[in-house]
Amino acid sequence: MGTDSYNPFRTAQKQFDRAAIILNLDSASKDLLRIPMKEFHFSIPVRMDDGSKKIFRGYRIMHNNARGAAKGGIRFHRHESVDSLRALSMLMSWKTAVADLPLGGAYGGVECDPRDLSENEQEQICRGYVRQNFNNMGPEIDVPAPDLMTNAMHMLWMLDEYETMTGKRTPGFITGKPVEMGGSLGKKEATGYGVMLCVREALKELSISPSKTSASFQGFGNVAQNAIDLYQKMGGKIECISCLDRKEMKEISYSKAGGVIPDELRKVTDPFGGIDKKKAEDLGYEAEYNDAWMKKEVDILVPCAIENLITEANYSSIPESVKIIAEGANSPINPKAEEILEKQNKIKIIPDILANSGGVICSYFEQVQSNMNYYWDKNEVFAKLDQKITSAYVSVSDFAVKNGISMRESAFIIAAERVADACRERGWV
Amino acid sequence: MKKKDSVDKIIRDLRERAKEIKCLYQVQEVLSDQTLKSDELCKKIVKLIPPGFQYPDVCASKIVLGNKKYTDKKFDETEWELGADIEIRGEKSGRICVFYTEERPLEDIGPFLKEERKLLNSIADQMSMQLLHNQLKTVFEEGKLQSTEKKSEWWIILDLLKRTDPRLLVNIAQKMLNYLCLNAVSEAESFIEEFNPSFKKKTELFKDNNFPMSVIETSDIFNKSNHVFDIASRNLSENEILDIIQKWIKEDRSNFMVNILENTGSSLPDISNAIERYHHLSSQGLELSVPRAKSFRVALTRRVLTDQPGFVKIAKENVKVDDFNGLMKVIIHPARSHGKVGGKSSGLFLAEKILKNSGPDSKSLKNIKFPKSWYITSDGLLEFIKYNSLEDIVEQKYKDIGQVRQEYPYVVQVFKNSTFPPDIVKGLTLALDDLGDRPLIVRSSSLLEDRFGTSFAGKYKSLFIANIGSREERLESLTGAIAEIYASTFGPEPIEYRNEHGLIDYLEEMGIIIQQVVGNRIGDYFLPSFAGVAFGNNEYKWSPRLDKEDGLIRVVPGLGTRAVDRISDDYPVLISPGKPDLSVNASIEEKIKYSPKKVDLINLKSGKFDTVDLSDLLFDHGNNFPWIENMVSVVEEKYLRPPKKIGHDYKNNYHLATFEGLKSGSVFLSQIKLLLGIFREKYSGPVDIEFASDGKDLYLLQCRPQSFSKDSRPAVIPEDSFENDILFSAEKHVPNGTVQDITHIVYVDPDKYPSLSTFEELYETGRIISKLNKILPKRQFILIGPGRWGSRGDIKLGVSVTYSDINNTAMLIEIAKKRKEFIPDLSFGTHFFQDLVEADIKYLPLYPDSDTILNEKFLKNSKNILPSLVPDLSAELQNTVRVIDIPSESEGKELHVYMNSEIQKAVGIISESSTISSFDPEETENRKVLNSDFHWKWRLSYVKEIASSIDGEKFGVKAFYIFGSVKNATAGPASDIDILIHFCGNTSQKNDLEMWLNGWDRSLVMINYLSTGNKTDNILDIHYITDKDIKNRTSYAVKIGAHTDPARPLEIKRPAK
Repeated sequence: MGTDSYNPFRTAQKQFDRAAIILNLDSASKDLLRIPMKEFHFSIPVRMDDGSKKIFRGYRIMHNNARGAAKGGIRFHRHESVDSLRALSMLMSWKTAVADLPLGGAYGGVECDPRDLSENEQEQICRGYVRQNFNNMGPEIDVPAPDLMTNAMHMLWMLDEYETMTGKRTPGFITGKPVEMGGSLGKKEATGYGVMLCVREALKELSISPSKTSASFQGFGNVAQNAIDLYQKMGGKIECISCLDRKEMKEISYSKAGGVIPDELRKVTDPFGGIDKKKAEDLGYEAEYNDAWMKKEVDILVPCAIENLITEANYSSIPESVKIIAEGANSPINPKAEEILEKQNKIKIIPDILANSGGVICSYFEQVQSNMNYYWDKNEVFAKLDQKITSAYVSVSDFAVKNGISMRESAFIIAAERVADACRERGWV
Repeated sequence: MKKKDSVDKIIRDLRERAKEIKCLYQVQEVLSDQTLKSDELCKKIVKLIPPGFQYPDVCASKIVLGNKKYTDKKFDETEWELGADIEIRGEKSGRICVFYTEERPLEDIGPFLKEERKLLNSIADQMSMQLLHNQLKTVFEEGKLQSTEKKSEWWIILDLLKRTDPRLLVNIAQKMLNYLCLNAVSEAESFIEEFNPSFKKKTELFKDNNFPMSVIETSDIFNKSNHVFDIASRNLSENEILDIIQKWIKEDRSNFMVNILENTGSSLPDISNAIERYHHLSSQGLELSVPRAKSFRVALTRRVLTDQPGFVKIAKENVKVDDFNGLMKVIIHPARSHGKVGGKSSGLFLAEKILKNSGPDSKSLKNIKFPKSWYITSDGLLEFIKYNSLEDIVEQKYKDIGQVRQEYPYVVQVFKNSTFPPDIVKGLTLALDDLGDRPLIVRSSSLLEDRFGTSFAGKYKSLFIANIGSREERLESLTGAIAEIYASTFGPEPIEYRNEHGLIDYLEEMGIIIQQVVGNRIGDYFLPSFAGVAFGNNEYKWSPRLDKEDGLIRVVPGLGTRAVDRISDDYPVLISPGKPDLSVNASIEEKIKYSPKKVDLINLKSGKFDTVDLSDLLFDHGNNFPWIENMVSVVEEKYLRPPKKIGHDYKNNYHLATFEGLKSGSVFLSQIKLLLGIFREKYSGPVDIEFASDGKDLYLLQCRPQSFSKDSRPAVIPEDSFENDILFSAEKHVPNGTVQDITHIVYVDPDKYPSLSTFEELYETGRIISKLNKILPKRQFILIGPGRWGSRGDIKLGVSVTYSDINNTAMLIEIAKKRKEFIPDLSFGTHFFQDLVEADIKYLPLYPDSDTILNEKFLKNSKNILPSLVPDLSAELQNTVRVIDIPSESEGKELHVYMNSEIQKAVGIISESSTISSFDPEETENRKVLNSDFHWKWRLSYVKEIASSIDGEKFGVKAFYIFGSVKNATAGPASDIDILIHFCGNTSQKNDLEMWLNGWDRSLVMINYLSTGNKTDNILDIHYITDKDIKNRTSYAVKIGAHTDPARPLEIKRPAK
């Protein structure tokens, strides 16, 4: 493998290096933050269903815990590369810092393919993972969460193993639990609401009342539906909703004179965000193809579902009326398109790391509630979410305006600065 | 009012049956009294008969025995008579008759019911037995008195036979002699000629001998018989002799079966009667020798079920003669029927008997049920045609196919408006009474289907009927459905198919099965909880841990129609019964995407077959849906959980059909697994079965040897190919199948791909594949690349594509090439595995570090045409993705891939393209059914032939291209063939060329007409372009090298310079 081949960790380091230059970090800080602080590599023996034994490789990478207990997902993947876990653990440090949560960043994984494993074998891996890494995990040390190919089921197995070993009930050991097993209410809405709370703040800055705006959404799944829900409550007009049609395997945009009525469309939507084209047309919606959703004369675009959606090939079809793009999905805009949209079209792009941080904030809430063993009602969760994300937005936006940089850069710099400060204050650097 | 009528009828029927049973009981009571003499017996019984009949007041009976006559009262014999013979030792010894002394309404047999006929028959049979017993007793006692010296028991039997049944005695003597000879008793061998003089003259028998053979004296025969038994007594033990004599006597009682079964003239009712009689006798201890039992089974199978040799072979081992007794009662047939029930019905019958008669496992198999079914024999169709004077229709198949197509709707109407013969209607009425008011499925069970494999699948109709309304309405919709299925025999598709396969001259005989639909009423719907198909062999491995014999289940909620067929917008759940824990789809997103969203069912309100959304069905009826808690999972954010067993809220949760409860230790799964195992053993190979469940029991709906489409059969691996021609070979995880005529390879270099330096470039590779997928000729290119096509997250390990980026490829190949320390594991196409299955895209993993071939030289050094297809790419990407035009790199050859799972061998060979001569309509037939590839395939093969035979220099042709629907694999029966000719000759050359092409055109028009019935003026749509056009990119020249839908060049002979 050539040394110049793509490496996600190196990409993450480069991103940090840029922020470090702007922050003028000293070399010790750079050294500390460029690589993870601790790495655990371990073997998990599992007795397979057919009686044979097999050894699986497990990893837990902790990038930084200066601001608090580390937090990050555990993924199952056949060829988990340590470098991608390193990159993800670093990203978690920035994510928690941008939202100003008292947490650090970590990531972990097991080299395995759940497709080739029975449920029983997967359970053995989860329990083995906790046994092998027991001393380095815990509500006050490192808190895992579900990720690629892992879900609440895996989390509960891990929690149970941990609690069995400690002999205590410690639901704060892990997040991503079902509500009845110590999960947080409002988790489902958190990401979508967070996106729209950011939009609300952005509109405030532009001195536009939400009720005088219109927006177009890409996606109609969980994130988009909740974002739309809040936007509607704010009084905004929904101009268009686009989603992937599974039959045609194409994006179809739905709109209607007088605006989209989400409740009406929801009735003809499958549980997974797919709108039934025929039924929607019967309701009087016009179905359009070819990125129609982003061509609408609206104030706000909210891409919620697909990566790499807005590129240099199609950005020019975005009309001048658009003032805000909020990234509900991960990386929906590619870097080249982003640069042009921000510089030429003067569009405010709320970056994914901030816009979709509602999810990680709510995970933090879950952890807090679990540790207290006291659970909030939904409204309390939403009120705290609003407060957290608004203050995160304000600090990112203020810094961006003050220094004439993009919100994305601003977010990274603030995050790196917060982590670096914590390390310094602890006397590490 | 009507309802009351039918209740009255049922009560009346029951009352009659009760009377008949009472009568039979009383008769039996009399017969069981051993002290009664024959005379007293008759006197008593004759009085017991009339009360068993429908009109006892006017009923009189008479028994004649020898020259004695017994009556219950004094009466005059009338024309309304029902009689049954009393036979002793196969000879008529008397008769029982019943008369109505006054006229009564007509029933099944004159004024008599058919049950009354059965009653009388059984009384006669039982009397025969008892009378024989009495006779024997007398003789036995006499014999005892007379004999001075004590004879052995068997001598007494023989004595008895001498007096009562000399024929049988001789018969037994002959058998004994043969038996002795077979046991090499020399005395017997020397006596055989004397016993049977014809033996001596055996050689003469073969000569043309016009003299009758001399008659042998009876007394002589007796003496000779005695001699035979003397020999026997010297050479065999007493017991042995007694045993075999008894066996032969018993066997003799089944001779009537031999007569019926061997007589080709005997009709189904004759056979039915014989079986019934056999059934009676067997309950009284009739035993058959093994060879005789086997011959009966074979004969019955051939006459009643099907004469397909493979089937008969299995049936004779697994079906008992008595098993036919139950079957005959549910067969509807014309009066003198010689029909059979056909393939589907036979398969199901055989499966049922295999399970019934299979020993140790039968406990867990006991709960497997078979839906109640009735059958109409294959000659029902002919009878229907005759009865309605529709003989003209039979000629339909000889009309031209266009006319058949045009007239078909009319045929359907005529059939639906015709009436059924009374025999059939009567049978159907009985069937409806028996099947009750459940929805029914009416299916075809064709005889041709058995004879020529299962390829008729889908040609004939299967119809669901709701079976609601009054008796008359239900009968009407049932006959309507049968008529429609009869009419489908004369539809254009089966006729076309039969024409192509040389079966047109066979008489199409179509059996019918009428089967209760398995399921429950849920709201206004009727549906099974789940249904599907299971295959003994799994041809689609999604994990290397799966074995082929682990099998495969395709299961859906509701009717199984959605699991049997491949449906483009929905998916069945796939389960490996051998390893149910290895799921096809692991992540929540995949589980959501590949779960069935729709349900087929019968709408009882509209009386029609219907499809509804599973989510709607669960919202309305989730709590009344049997077994649903095992079929669906609740979608929570990021994970799935099972619904609560009781009191689950189906209205406010999202559900996904995952069948998790079926996988995890359910009795149904172990039953299916067991079934596949048992049938695999009995059929000596894998089977496929259709099943359904009402939530309580598992029902088997069909069973037959596992069939493959031609493209999915194990391929014959060519042994004689040169190593130079082999592009790759494989020996691990090889599926079955053949992929032919590949013109392009898209090769993503496994060495260069991981070295791409930016994420964007890695990502871009997937976009290039997506573009190529749209440009390259559909199903004529294959993708070869490093591990894990469709990777997400770990993009370095495989090209990031979704299914829609590769859906036009014919095949997906993953290369596991050693890198540094490890060999990457392959994805087995799992990211979109189910899409590959549904679209029949083949998948093959290659392990080039093992002892196999991968011709990297060809892949890396051939000309890369990527820049001309997708311009403006970086040099790095151009080096990584290579597109190879195989014909232009190999002098017009193409790539053919042969895969054989049985021997775990696959090979990709670059050789001559398959030409017209090897174009086999049968081969393409199954693809035509599955994905209508038929039309473009044959067009393309002919165009290649035309191109290769154009003498470019003679006609002034520089190049020859094809574009449009044939190139794009979308051609239908009426499509033309778009051709582009780069012409540089003069006017006379052009005239010659046009005339030459015109000849081809006419032939193609005729070929198309003969195979599809579509008549067009032209098929070839030829466009000429010149050097000038090409230079200026005018006219059709833009098609050459175009980005979208470019024309594809074909090789020609001696291109003009």
